[in-house]
Amino acid sequence: MATITAHGTQEVRQRRKPAAPYLLLIPAVAVLLLGLGYPVYWQIVTSFQEFGLAQQFGSAPPTFAGLDNYARIFSDSTAFAVVVRSIIFCLVNAGLTVILGLAFALLMRAVHGWAKVVLQIALLLAWATPVIAAVTVFRWLFNDQYGVINWLLVKMGLTGFRGHVWTATPLSFFLVATIIIVWMSVPFVALSLFAGLTQVNDELLEAARIDGANKTQILWRIIMPLVRPVLAIVLLLQIIWDLRVFAQIKLLQDAGAPIAETNLLGNFIYDLGMNRNNFGGAAAVAIFVLLLTVVLSAPYVRSLLKEDES
Amino acid sequence: MKRNRLVATTVASTITLALALTACGGSGTGDASSPEPNDTGAAEAGNITLWLNGADTPDDLRQYLVDTFAKENPGSTLTIEEQSWTDLVPKLTTALADKANSPDVVEIGNTQAPTFTAVGAFREITPDFFEELGGDNLLQSFVAAGDFDGKHYAMPYYFGSRYMFYRKDLWTAAGITETPKTLADFVDDVKKLRTDDLSGFAIGGQDWRNGISWVFANGGELATVDGTEWTSTLSDPNTIKGLEQWQDMFKGASNLPTTAKDDAYWDFINDGEDGSPATGATIMAPAWARWSIGDLTTNDEGKTVRDGMADDTKFDIFALPGVDGGVAPVFAGGSNIAISANSQHPQLAENLMRIIFSPEYQKMLGGAGLGPANSEYVSSLGDDKFATTMIETAQNSKLTPAAPGWAAVEGANVYEELFQKIAEGGDVTALAKEYDAKITPMLNGK
Repeated sequence: MATITAHGTQEVRQRRKPAAPYLLLIPAVAVLLLGLGYPVYWQIVTSFQEFGLAQQFGSAPPTFAGLDNYARIFSDSTAFAVVVRSIIFCLVNAGLTVILGLAFALLMRAVHGWAKVVLQIALLLAWATPVIAAVTVFRWLFNDQYGVINWLLVKMGLTGFRGHVWTATPLSFFLVATIIIVWMSVPFVALSLFAGLTQVNDELLEAARIDGANKTQILWRIIMPLVRPVLAIVLLLQIIWDLRVFAQIKLLQDAGAPIAETNLLGNFIYDLGMNRNNFGGAAAVAIFVLLLTVVLSAPYVRSLLKEDES
Repeated sequence: MKRNRLVATTVASTITLALALTACGGSGTGDASSPEPNDTGAAEAGNITLWLNGADTPDDLRQYLVDTFAKENPGSTLTIEEQSWTDLVPKLTTALADKANSPDVVEIGNTQAPTFTAVGAFREITPDFFEELGGDNLLQSFVAAGDFDGKHYAMPYYFGSRYMFYRKDLWTAAGITETPKTLADFVDDVKKLRTDDLSGFAIGGQDWRNGISWVFANGGELATVDGTEWTSTLSDPNTIKGLEQWQDMFKGASNLPTTAKDDAYWDFINDGEDGSPATGATIMAPAWARWSIGDLTTNDEGKTVRDGMADDTKFDIFALPGVDGGVAPVFAGGSNIAISANSQHPQLAENLMRIIFSPEYQKMLGGAGLGPANSEYVSSLGDDKFATTMIETAQNSKLTPAAPGWAAVEGANVYEELFQKIAEGGDVTALAKEYDAKITPMLNGK
C-alpha cells in the first residue's frame, strides 16, 4: 500500500473504504447463499438424520441420527468400492484429457490455414454436442448387434467381437465411458491451452533456437513453464468435473450394464436417494464428495494462490 | 378463493352436483383433509392433472377422459401428462410430496403401489367410494396391492399378463409341430430351435420380469412375510430349482446379451423391414405386443405397420405351460391408480375416478386389449385366442411381494443384477444366498 502523506486524504479513504466494496459484494453473496447455501445447509442437516420415504411424505418426523449415516455408509464395502473406483476413474480421465488436450493445442499451433480451421471447428462441434446426444451416438457405435465398432473389428478378422456387449463387464464399460468423457472434454482443454500458447512470445522461442535449443528442449524448458498456470487450472477443473460425472454413466447403464459394479459417486448418491429412498445416507455421501473434492483440489488451489502472489 | 367458489357453485351442472353430493355423503374422513370444505357440496372448479405411464393407455382413451371430464365438470379441465416407466419412482417420490404442485391422480405400477401407500402418499378411498367404483368386482389381487392397514388407497387400473408369441413356420421347419405341454418340454423345444443366427427363445439376461415365471412355476416364492417382517426367499429349494431351470434355458436357447432387458422383443420374431430373416423363434411378452408383430402392411393413414399376426400359419401364441402341464403362473403385469394425498382438488379427482371406473371406460380398456379392473367387463376383451389366452394366464398370474420396500428393490435394479449373474453362468445357490442378504433389509424399508 502506498504511504499516505496528507492527513486529510487518509480520513476520507477510511470513511469510504468499508462501504463500497461490501455493497458490491452483496449481490454475489446473496446469489451464492440462495443458490448454494440453502441446499448445502439442508444437505448437512439431512446427513445427520434418519430421512426416508416416510419423512418425505411427512408421515413420520425426521429423527436425529448423529453420525449413523456416515458410519453405515462407510462400513459398507460397496460404498468403499465406489469411492476407490471414482477416484481412479477421475484421475485417469482428467490425466488423459489434459494430455490429449495439450497434444491438440500443440497441433493447432503447428498447423496453419484450412487445417487449423477444420481442427478448431471439429473441436468446437465435439464440445457443443449435448451429453444425451453424444452418449446416444456412442451407444449406437458400440451396440452389440448393429454397432460400427463390432462390425469393423469383425471385418478386421477379430470374429470374437461378433455380438460383443461392451457394457456387460465393468472394465469394458469404463473403457467406453472413458472414451465418451475424454472425447467430450478434450476440446475445452485444447482450446484453453491453445489460448495460453498464443501468449508465448515468438521472440523468446527464436532466441532459444539461436542459443541452440532443440525442439524437445523448447517444449519442456520454454513453452511448458509458460503455460503451466493454464495447465494447472484446466487440470483442476477436469478433476472436479470428472469426480462428479453422472449423466454419461447413467445413460450408458441404461443400455444394459451391471449397475452396482459400474456406479460412480454421482450415480451411487442418486441410487441411494432416489431409488432406495435413503435420503439421509445419500446426503452423507454427498457431503463426503464435497470434502473429497476439497482434498483433491487443495494442492492445486494452494499452488495457484502462490503463483498469484508472486 | 371466495369468488372462485361462487363461480363454481353457479356453473356446476346438475350432474356434477349430484355426483359431488354422493361424494360428500360417502367421504367421512376425506372432507376433513380437503383444503376448502365446500358448503354446497359442489366441487370447486379447477384444473386437475392425471399422470399416465408409457404409451400403454391409447390416445383415444385419453381423449375420452379429457372430453368426458370437461363435460361432467363444467369450468374444470383435465390435463394428462405422460411419464416414463423407467424414472417413475423418483418422480413420484418428489412430485407427490409437493403440497402445491402434486399431480391429482397418478397411475402407478402394481408392484410399486405398496411402497407409496405405506407412507401416506395417497388419499384414502373410503369404503363407500370403493363400493361406488366397483367394490368386490374389482380385481382383488390389485386391490390388495393398494391396501394398507385395512384401508383402500390405490385402485386397480388395468391388468395384463404375459404369454408366448412364436414363429409357427420356424417351429414346424425344425420338426416341432405341437406346442409344449410342460415347462420342461418348452425348455427342450427352444433349445432345439437355437442356431447361431436364431434364438430358440429370445430372452434377455436381465429380464427378471419374465424370468420369475420359472420360479413361480416351480413352486418358489421371491419373499415371504411373517407379520410385517419380510424375508427374501431366493434360497428356498423351489426358487433355486426355478432359477437353475431358467439358467439352463437361457444358456441353451437365447443368443441375447446377458445385459439385455425386457425390451421390444418383437424385433426378434418379426422378419426385418429389409426382408432379413427373424432372429428369434419365440418371445414372451404382454398381450398388447400383438400389434407390433406380424407381416408388414399399410394402415389407413398410409403408414407401414405390422398386421397384428394376421397369418396364423406363421405367427401364433400359447400360454407358458406349467411344470406338470396346465398353465404356468406368470408375472401379473398392470397398474394401479390413486389420488394424491396432496391433491388440491380431491373432489374433482374423485370425479375423474368415477369416469375411469364407469362401464364405458372399462369397456374401452378391454377393447384396447388392457384387462379392465372391473371383472364384470372382462368380456370386452373379446373371445378370440388372444383374449382367452390372456384371461387364462391372468387367472394364473402372480404379483411380486407387496413389501413396503419393493419399489426400492425394483428402482435399484437388484433383480436385473441377479439375473444377469445367473445368465452369465454363476452358481445359483451362492448367488441366491448373497442376494437374500441384500434384499431382505431392502424389503423392510431399511
